[in-house]
Amino acid sequence: MVDAARHPKIDVRTYTQVERVEGFVGNFKVQLREKARYVIADRCNGCGDCAKVCPIEVPNRFELDLAPRKAAYVAMSQSVPLLYTIDQEACIHCYKCVEACGALDAIDFSQEDKIVWEDIGAIVVATGFNHFDPSVIPEYGYNQYPNVITAMEMERLNNSAGPTVGNLIRPSDGENPKRLAIINCVGSRDKRFNPWCSNFCCMYAIKNAVLLKQMYPEIELSIYYIDIRTPSKGYEEFYERAREMGIKFIQGRPSLITEDKKSHNLFVHSEDITLGLVTEYEYDMVMLNQAAVPQPDVDSVSSVLNIQQSPGGWFMEYHPKLRPLDTPTDGIFIAGACQGPKDIPASVASGSATASRAGRILHSDEWEIEPIIAQVWEDRCVSADGKKCGICAKACPYNAITVEVGTAAQVTTAKCHGCGGCVAECPHNAITQLHYTDAQILAQIRALLADKPEEKIFAFRCHWCSYGGADMAGTSHFEYSANERGVRVMCSARMDTDFIYEAYRLGAGAVLYSGCHPQDCHYITGQLVGASRAERLQKIFDKMGMSPGRFRIEWISAAEGQKYANVIDEMQQTIDEIGKEKLLAEIESMKPEMEKRARRMYEVPDVTDASDYSDKMKIAMTLEVVDIGK
Amino acid sequence: MENKDKPLSFMEQVQAIPGGEAVSVCFSCGTCVSRCLIQQKVEKAYNPRRMMKMVMMDLRESAFDSPTTWLCSSCELCYPACPQEIHISGVINAVKELAIEKGKRSPLKTAEVNTKTCVACGLCVEVCPYKAVHLVEKNIPNRGKNMTIAEVDNEHCMACGLCSSVCRSNSIELTEDCTDENVIDSLRNWLTEQSVKVTA
Ligand SMILES: Cc1cc2nc3c(=O)[nH]c(=O)nc-3n(C[C@H](O)[C@H](O)[C@H](O)COP(=O)(O)OP(=O)(O)OC[C@H]3O[C@@H](n4cnc5c(N)ncnc54)[C@H](O)[C@@H]3O)c2cc1C
Ligand code: SF4
Ligand code: SF4
Repeated sequence: MVDAARHPKIDVRTYTQVERVEGFVGNFKVQLREKARYVIADRCNGCGDCAKVCPIEVPNRFELDLAPRKAAYVAMSQSVPLLYTIDQEACIHCYKCVEACGALDAIDFSQEDKIVWEDIGAIVVATGFNHFDPSVIPEYGYNQYPNVITAMEMERLNNSAGPTVGNLIRPSDGENPKRLAIINCVGSRDKRFNPWCSNFCCMYAIKNAVLLKQMYPEIELSIYYIDIRTPSKGYEEFYERAREMGIKFIQGRPSLITEDKKSHNLFVHSEDITLGLVTEYEYDMVMLNQAAVPQPDVDSVSSVLNIQQSPGGWFMEYHPKLRPLDTPTDGIFIAGACQGPKDIPASVASGSATASRAGRILHSDEWEIEPIIAQVWEDRCVSADGKKCGICAKACPYNAITVEVGTAAQVTTAKCHGCGGCVAECPHNAITQLHYTDAQILAQIRALLADKPEEKIFAFRCHWCSYGGADMAGTSHFEYSANERGVRVMCSARMDTDFIYEAYRLGAGAVLYSGCHPQDCHYITGQLVGASRAERLQKIFDKMGMSPGRFRIEWISAAEGQKYANVIDEMQQTIDEIGKEKLLAEIESMKPEMEKRARRMYEVPDVTDASDYSDKMKIAMTLEVVDIGK
Repeated sequence: MENKDKPLSFMEQVQAIPGGEAVSVCFSCGTCVSRCLIQQKVEKAYNPRRMMKMVMMDLRESAFDSPTTWLCSSCELCYPACPQEIHISGVINAVKELAIEKGKRSPLKTAEVNTKTCVACGLCVEVCPYKAVHLVEKNIPNRGKNMTIAEVDNEHCMACGLCSSVCRSNSIELTEDCTDENVIDSLRNWLTEQSVKVTA
């Protein structure tokens, strides 16, 4: 930390909050609130004379309230930079500190929060994790029995810089405990609270036990566990060492802790499952390994940065295996335990990796993106005519579209990932997607349904999942109906209602609307846009009296080749069961309605005209690089 | 490909009965066992965690013969403590239903109806927490044909004795140690002991 603060290219801003983030990769503008410390940073030398004279004591959060601090304080003795802060909520304005500071004259009670804007190229989020409060588990008596403590409290109690100078004492009487129980999975692997494994508590349980055994060789230590998880280099060997030292490992999750009111000793009730015996052992002290949980402010951080959360509230990665540190927003990365519980080696590794990912951006003048971005045809956008619309902006998972009444919607190209959701949602056909224009897709549909359309099963597949599923069915040589024909778009969000109507107007026997399972969507929420549109369509077709099964919605992953083959076969069966005569009659009777519904499709420029049209709008069609403005 | 004709495994059968669905997510932590009063006060061999495992490992016969199958009183002490949110008594009752189906019988000394005095008021039917008492029509020797009378379903009776405590005509009671007379005797003895202690 000291090295970081000294580094000429690292600017450490503590006591500063990120309040707004605007712009895009390479071009972020970030609003910071530098909170008032009531101490002038350039003058304070960290001597601490102010704290010595300050008469006010409040609980010290860093010491988990196990010790006090003054109203003039530093968070901890190793704080970098070592700058004192006056806690205005506690301060009684006696100004003793001002006197003690003397000639340095570093204390300034008139200071106010400062708002500054910075130009930032890339952002790494490393906001870490928080600790589960075990007092919500009544069985364990935390906050009720003084000698039940948390692992975090233990970290302070056995730390030589901590409030007891490393002397482990029982809060009830100040004695050293002779028998200590450590309980794992407190609030972790517990569906009532947090279903996940907190990753590092097994290991720090063993670490603390080994440390305590070294400090107090006489101490009896038992670790209660469901499973001990040691899946890293050297970890199992460390576990082995703990057993060699005589630390007891009891497999069983305690169901209850009770207390002897006089001695404040504790009884841990648990089954020892390896023995099949219910046990009740007495201890002087119990340490609860509380779950790692997301920070309480994840929602506001998510919304400031426009990044998403995985279930539970951990920040979400772009792809769990292939892009584990990127967020779906280009230029914003996640490192350490904010992405999910990680120990120190893993946090440091991800920190270094994100730094180099961010470095790539800072060292390039241009940023390559896929050329499949959305583009607004300004003369069609009703917003330009002063009408309120903004449907495109709502569909965009990346906040890449800004809509202001009076001007046409604007796509920030560097933010657009090319799902095509806005294109399909726009009711005025005012947006197109390069390489996936309406005209191109319609041309494919028309070509594929030119011959005996009533025999065809027409599939709309997304690039990442259902197309991969179809591919998998092919490469695995799964047999399925040869009547399947299909087009590929990037995301189910691009599957325009008009494409479906057009397929039916042309006489398709059946239509498949397929894409990723929602959790697999490569465009954050693109699948949701696609899915709700598909459900709307299903209702419309039901109302029109379409035979059940002629329109089918299926979410198929790239690994589900067999499912793809099965779905197509079932659709073939549906067509066969309806029978050619009835099918043809149904197609014919619905044609006018389909034609009416797809009518605005005919207004879109043809394939050849589309590029001319775009050129006319003076927007480069060959946009492959964006200048990131440096 | 799934084989539709394959017979259901023991676990699948248990999961098919309402209440038995969640058995497969048990990770054997033992919380339920050390929570359970039947285990601690009545029968050491009683072990819901092992019951979950027997179901998962297809040990049908061992499960049917286990006291756990027959002694669970659905007191629900374990359910709110289970970190996997398994409705444990639901699983045990599902096993019990399958055991009964296979002709297994409860080892409990269940309640008995005195057919000579029962007046079919139905109070016992109302209070039984296990729905183990029903009113039926029966021929009672020396009393009459097609008489309405209470009848205990031995497989579902948990011998809690609630029925006998509400019966106004003393026509339903538990057997052996738990007859009304025995209970009153032991209560009287206990009270005498207490008063001896107090006066001494
Ligand atoms: C009791 C206990 C013992 C442990 N022992 C070990 C061990 O022995 N070995 C080991 O490898 N791991 C151990 N760990 C795990 C270790 O704590 C984590 O791996 C590590 O802290 C993760 O580092 P991090 O930087 O991602 O997050 P954190 O350490 O949580 O750091 C996040 C930082 O971001 C700051 N922050 C949060 N929100 C904001 C915001 N909005 N704006 C600005 N700043 C913000 C926080 O103040 C904090 O300083 C232990 C954990 C516990 C609970
Ligand atoms: S790391 Fe160990 S103690 Fe922590 S939640 Fe996972 S299994 Fe439980
Ligand atoms: S408490 Fe739940 S998870 Fe644990 S052994 Fe019992 S049933 Fe299984």
